Amino acid sequence: MLALLYGGAFLLSGAAALAAMALARSAHQSAVTHALLILSGLFGLAASVGYCIELAHGVVRVVPVYATALFAFFVTPLSGFFLALVFLGVTLTSWYALGYLPRYHTHYTLPWLDFATSLFVLGMVGTLMAGQPFAFLIAWELMSVAAYFLIIADGSRESLTAGFRYLLMAQLGFLALLVGLLLLAGGDPFASWAAVAHAAAALPPSARLGAFLLLLVGFGSKAGLVPLHQWLPAAHPQAPSHSSALLSGVMLKVALYGFILSVGLLPAVPFSWAMLVIVLGLASAFFGVLHAVVENDAKRMLAWSSIEHMGLLFTGVGLLLALPNLPVGADAAALTAALTGFVILHALNHSLFKSGLFMATGAVVAQTHTRDLDRLGGLAQRWPLFSGAFLALALSAAALPPTGTFFGEWLLFQPLAIGFRSAAPASSLGAALVLAVVALVGGLAVFAFVKLFSVMFLGRPRSSAAEQAGEMPLLLTLPPLAAAVLVSLSGLLLFPLLAQPERVRLLGLPFASAVLPGAAMSSWGVVFALLGSAAAAAAFYRAFARRTIRITETWDCGAPLTARMQYTATGFSAPIRFFFRALVLSKKTLVVEPVVVTNPWIAKRRLSWATESFWEAGLYRPVGRAAIAISASVRRLQNGAVQFYLALVFAALVGVILFAL
Amino acid sequence: MNGMLFILQGVVTLMLAPLMVGLVRFFKARFQNRRGAVPWLPYVSLWSLFAKDMTITRYSSWVFRFVPFVLASIALVLAFVVPTFAYGVVPPFLSNLFLVGGLFAFGSAWLVLGGMDTASAFGNMGASREMTLAALVEPALYVSLATIAFAAGSWSLDGMLAHEAGLSWHGGALPLSFALGALLLVALTENARYPVDNPATHLELTMVHEAMVLEYSGPYLALLEYAAAVKLTVTMLFLFALALPFGLMHVGASPLAVVFWYIVRFVFASFIVAFIESVIVKMRFYRMQEYLSLALFVALAGLVLVLMQQFSF
Repeated sequence: MLALLYGGAFLLSGAAALAAMALARSAHQSAVTHALLILSGLFGLAASVGYCIELAHGVVRVVPVYATALFAFFVTPLSGFFLALVFLGVTLTSWYALGYLPRYHTHYTLPWLDFATSLFVLGMVGTLMAGQPFAFLIAWELMSVAAYFLIIADGSRESLTAGFRYLLMAQLGFLALLVGLLLLAGGDPFASWAAVAHAAAALPPSARLGAFLLLLVGFGSKAGLVPLHQWLPAAHPQAPSHSSALLSGVMLKVALYGFILSVGLLPAVPFSWAMLVIVLGLASAFFGVLHAVVENDAKRMLAWSSIEHMGLLFTGVGLLLALPNLPVGADAAALTAALTGFVILHALNHSLFKSGLFMATGAVVAQTHTRDLDRLGGLAQRWPLFSGAFLALALSAAALPPTGTFFGEWLLFQPLAIGFRSAAPASSLGAALVLAVVALVGGLAVFAFVKLFSVMFLGRPRSSAAEQAGEMPLLLTLPPLAAAVLVSLSGLLLFPLLAQPERVRLLGLPFASAVLPGAAMSSWGVVFALLGSAAAAAAFYRAFARRTIRITETWDCGAPLTARMQYTATGFSAPIRFFFRALVLSKKTLVVEPVVVTNPWIAKRRLSWATESFWEAGLYRPVGRAAIAISASVRRLQNGAVQFYLALVFAALVGVILFAL
Repeated sequence: MNGMLFILQGVVTLMLAPLMVGLVRFFKARFQNRRGAVPWLPYVSLWSLFAKDMTITRYSSWVFRFVPFVLASIALVLAFVVPTFAYGVVPPFLSNLFLVGGLFAFGSAWLVLGGMDTASAFGNMGASREMTLAALVEPALYVSLATIAFAAGSWSLDGMLAHEAGLSWHGGALPLSFALGALLLVALTENARYPVDNPATHLELTMVHEAMVLEYSGPYLALLEYAAAVKLTVTMLFLFALALPFGLMHVGASPLAVVFWYIVRFVFASFIVAFIESVIVKMRFYRMQEYLSLALFVALAGLVLVLMQQFSF
């Protein structure tokens, strides 16, 4: 039954691709394709729910979906969880696409876009279900290449550049994965994962290290880990918004799945490798959130924040890998459970709120035709319901208390604090430093999302584009709203289960509070406390306050205010840019354009301002320059003398023979 | 009994919060050779604000109207979950240190939204500054609280107090001196006091908190000011309950000692805040990262101190 449902979901996404091509000339093509994708998502969700119920009853099994000698697809509990994320994301974004795409039917070639979207979904589902390296790599490549066509869908110059960078990184990553997986599998791509793990155990440590590093590069580059992250904020926002939601909300999780799967294939992970993962995760989280704070393009800001959250997730995975080698004593079991809970809950929450935010931002862009935060504002008055949904998603992304994300991140913060009491002072201090960085990231995330919401929706419109925005259609409001509701539910329903793994079976116990050694948290308790106090405050106000309200102008010291006197997004994040000026390289130049040629004093002056990434300036540029310099010096070999070329061929031949001997 | 104490502790905090603000102002006035107003003036001004009309700018949305209620409800929760004179009464899941830190951040975020929904550069500037401070203070806040929690072996504020109350002063509070110092720096930031913000001015060069609430008037302003007073009271009383853990209420404690020490801590905390504001100057906003890095390093030094104590036994 489950196999049938999973298989049905898999086939339906393939059918969506076929429908996109077959109905290319029909006016209903897009609606049919996305209806099939929604159906595929619902099949998959039904299968996931069934699987969950089985697991809750203690039946742990692998669901075989399809197997031949060449391909094997099955679902394990691990891939089942990530599949649920994919199907959830597909259902939400395709629902949204039904309302979103018709507005852009002249902008995109819809049949091709929908074809690429369906193949992209097919690739993700295939990657997660793959039972051996061969199927995994084929599906992974299908996903990567289909994503390229999503990124370049609008055909603009900017998209093509971003797409090229993405494709380059994706292919490099694929090569790393290919070599890494084949190294582990001992050269047999058709071996099942269990056989790969068996082969990996027999490898010499140096080969294992090589495979680990290659896989870290392959999956890390897809997940946007520093320093291989530079393509992500350029590429994800260029896709149409429902595709950006899939790319950022869901595809990154497939990369996380790949990484977890491949470290599961290794017999043991030494402490230093785990430290590498933690350091890379923290660096990604920090640089991601820092750029999210200073970024003024709404969709690119969301992409930077995805790097932050993937960084946090990899930090969590790294901590899990490091735990067996840490002197935490009796706490180890509880910490493992809590950190696992963090990875699960945070992956789910991130895919929900990030998909929701991309969809909601896409809706704002569809109405105002700008992604520039400096040109938005004043939208909350016009769209109360929509802005409420957006605010709920933004507060979730900032991981503030009553949202589900807070409870997810609590499962990262609290274990770090418990790590203080390990048996060695060095690991206590290490836990404190990690906690400090994660806390800073959390604080900056609040900054980034408060900025995003407030400059988009509050105050007065900063441009006529924002001022003349029309009604927000319900079809664009509902999917983000659904995502917001689901994030809240994850805190209320999933957190109590995950925080107490032994109670997973007692599904009817929402009031259970999480008990880590000495620490407790209850999502229901917190939500009720806040709601109760809000009710008390409102009742007090109604009972005692004089409620006569006069609507006036903003206090203006006597001189009329204009919308341009408000802070812009650039101004709002100025203090952070200043404090971190060593890392966010801000370039201000005064552009002087003479008005009268003879007199240099009469000139138009304006300030041109741009930020540049630390990695772009410090790593990418020097590496690129070095590569060009080396190839320029190698080019001197090409001197046109045939005799010299023959000598080179001969030398190469001799070299190969010597090497072979 | 515990339920009664829980409610008593919250209600006492809620009732005395404006008095703390009044006492700080009173002491400050005396430092400046002024007579100053009576310490209970804030009660009168809050009440008169409640009886006034409100003006609301026409550029603001529903968010602006939500802010006072969100802030007031956070203040209510804080009053009940942050222990000020009793221990063993707050459920541990409500006084978890990360929840309290998260509630502070949640309040800051909403205050900033209110400041941004005014269409005025005053509110916007305060909002930008408040958000910066709230974001950068987090590492010091969590490291110092987690250090105290680690020393106390409990992750709830309530449990920390219980642990301190059971130890002698030089065995309990003294090793925490650095962590408490860092927490004091954090508390000054969270409550917008010197050297971070000047609470007594509306001069745009210096203001953070006051700029954000500039557009609020009448009952909404009263709610916001009351919420700020509760926040100041709970942070200061908790800090000083850790530093001077005498006469803390639990079953079987002498009520006279509890009342005496509560009054001592209350007056002393107000005096210290006023004292700090009278002897140091406000720092430039663009030097705040030095102040906040200092707070983080003091907190880390506090952890080293606690580790030294733990591993030397």
